[in-house]
Amino acid sequence: MSEPTGAGDAPSIRTERLGKRYGRRPIVRDLTFQVRPGEVYALVGPNGAGKTTVIRLVSGLAFPSEGRVEMLGHDPHARPDVRARLGAVVEAPAAFYPYMTGRANLRLHARLAGGVDPDRIDELLERMELGSAADRKVGVYSLGMRQRLGVAGALLTRPEVLILDEPASGMDPLSLHLVHRVLQEAAAEGAAVLLSTHHLDEVAAYGHRVGILEEGVLIDEVDLDRRRGRYRLQVDDAHAARHVLQAQPWAQEVYLRAGRVIVQIPDRGDVARLAPTLLQEGRAVTELTEDVFDLRAYYRERVVAERVRRTQVDEPVGPLPDAPPADAPEGAGR
Amino acid sequence: MSALLRMEFGKLARLTSVRAAAVLLLVFPALWSYAPGIHEVYGFFLVSGFQVPALSLLSSMEFLMPLLMAIVAAELVGIEATHGTLPTVLLRPVTRSAWLLAKLLVLAVFPFVAMGTFLLASLAAGLPFGFEAFLGGTGLGQGGLTGQGMLTPAAAMRELLGAYAMAALSLVPITLLAVLATVIVMNAAAGALATVSVLIVMNLLVVFPALEPYLLTTHLQAYADPVAGLPWVLTLVALYSAAFAAFAVVLFERKDF
Repeated sequence: MSEPTGAGDAPSIRTERLGKRYGRRPIVRDLTFQVRPGEVYALVGPNGAGKTTVIRLVSGLAFPSEGRVEMLGHDPHARPDVRARLGAVVEAPAAFYPYMTGRANLRLHARLAGGVDPDRIDELLERMELGSAADRKVGVYSLGMRQRLGVAGALLTRPEVLILDEPASGMDPLSLHLVHRVLQEAAAEGAAVLLSTHHLDEVAAYGHRVGILEEGVLIDEVDLDRRRGRYRLQVDDAHAARHVLQAQPWAQEVYLRAGRVIVQIPDRGDVARLAPTLLQEGRAVTELTEDVFDLRAYYRERVVAERVRRTQVDEPVGPLPDAPPADAPEGAGR
Repeated sequence: MSALLRMEFGKLARLTSVRAAAVLLLVFPALWSYAPGIHEVYGFFLVSGFQVPALSLLSSMEFLMPLLMAIVAAELVGIEATHGTLPTVLLRPVTRSAWLLAKLLVLAVFPFVAMGTFLLASLAAGLPFGFEAFLGGTGLGQGGLTGQGMLTPAAAMRELLGAYAMAALSLVPITLLAVLATVIVMNAAAGALATVSVLIVMNLLVVFPALEPYLLTTHLQAYADPVAGLPWVLTLVALYSAAFAAFAVVLFERKDF
């Protein structure tokens, strides 16, 4: 996974202590996060966690009760013109006029967006595998086709910000893969992508950061880039091996977990150096495997732990198996 | 704005309620002109084709037309919530007020289109009675159906056009009230029902004579005789329309979607 193209740039989306309440019931509380150009930020959480509300607040459809939202440096409510640089799907399935064809719907959106090259519409219809259905009324589209048309509509203006609420819900595996691939490409071209999703495995493969929402609160933010490129070694003397690896410029974040050495190697080409380096120092490596981050398991544990924490506020919750490792502090970092 | 207006006119033409209204507006005059009990109910015999439009208005302006206007206006706004298309449109660089103003403008024009259609259908229904000069009145001018002597076709037509324009004008605030109600509840059926409820309450308020000149419903009959005077009716219609439209825009601007 590549670094966000705009790493270091001003955030395209920024929220600060964002809150939303309906009546006296808080739906979103104290939410602060940002999405940079070229970054894919996934909001995940159980149903009712507040993901859709966050999407609507950020896209300017709903008004915050507290805090603030900025899109490309502007308040989307005060400056609606900033939405000329936004592509969004906020309904699942994406909503279109059912009596119009897919192509006519996109043309209408192109007009509302201030005009789009007609070739762009054809290109997107083909890209989203809707070419043969483009001139059929949307009313007869399947759920997956509507979702793909929604993504096509969002991409019409080559937006700098993409916001999508469960863009792949109800899709077959092929369509799901297509949508996530298209989002990945959009981010690679520099768009800041914010999506809410339940497809953790897909997002884990290409996302940059994941925000875990529970009861309207951002309980964790996972930097997926930091979780990639990690390797697990079984060595005859784990402590000694850790010290050896900590001295290597190509190795980052070396720590022990359950008697094994975990090391992050940013450049995949350096993985081949691991065993020879340790052998040179007299250490025997009996196992070397990629330490794949299991976002699904991590998410489940964090949400469960949060729920336990809420119900047993006075009782401290024990360490999580795949959360920052229990033995990480003793040797984490360099 | 022109793109929005074109879009809204296109949507209006596709509404189920507009199609149903079109059928009703085209069929109603013929049905009523030849209904066997028309004399017993309304107390007159038709002697000229120019009198059919009066009969059409007389029998529809109290309830049918306001109801049609409320349903159409509520559907044009509420259907966006039903289809879920409202957020999709609002995510484009279109201001909320521009989007709603387009709908308000289209719906302010709709009563004139509907009344034009109704007048044409009424005249078509009056063909068998002929359109020559006749002794009597159109029912929409001074002297009512009895008239003030011989009425030429040109004079009769002027009376009809004036009355239908007035009828259309008095319906404009009702369409805008329906927009306001639908913006509040974001549901077409509830919006139409709320509008009809307001009109029924206004009708009941005639028991307070001091309020009567200010009631919207009082002036639904202004097409035949603007009892409070034409300037008063026009002012009141303009004020109600402006107030309903302004409230709708203000509420819509701050609404969460």
